[in-house]
Amino acid sequence: MAQLCLDYPQFVQCNTEVLILGPDDPNAYKRHWQQENHPAVGLADVKSKIANLYYQEVNLFKLGRMPAQFIIDPNGIIRYEYYGNSMSDIPANITMLEMIDQLQKTDQPA
Amino acid sequence: MHLLNTEAPNFELINTKDQPVRLSDFRGKKWVLLVFNRGFA
Repeated sequence: MAQLCLDYPQFVQCNTEVLILGPDDPNAYKRHWQQENHPAVGLADVKSKIANLYYQEVNLFKLGRMPAQFIIDPNGIIRYEYYGNSMSDIPANITMLEMIDQLQKTDQPA
Repeated sequence: MHLLNTEAPNFELINTKDQPVRLSDFRGKKWVLLVFNRGFA
């Protein structure tokens, strides 16, 4: 999370907005965001309604929700999805940046 | 269930600046990295 915020300018350079959704109470989420001065867009997903729309896995044996990330193109199409297998199974930012770069190059007219 | 290569479900949530944000706001403008975490507050 902290690393994602540090790398945020690189996502901006790739014409990419970073939306971070968490299941926290909106006020608690807001306090955390202000304390940490996060540059990305923070969104409180109350009762995980949006997480459920995106099939974020809940694994009670692993103490809750598994991380999930998606890359969505400007046409609104999901071009990459990653469902983590554990709490720490989160793709590195450089991996996501390289994936975005690759997808953007694929989309450029020949 | 996987969503790859399908239209991303739209949503509207309030951001930490108390402003509404819709996924569709970025349509035709930007790529989006959508991150779901487990919460930290």
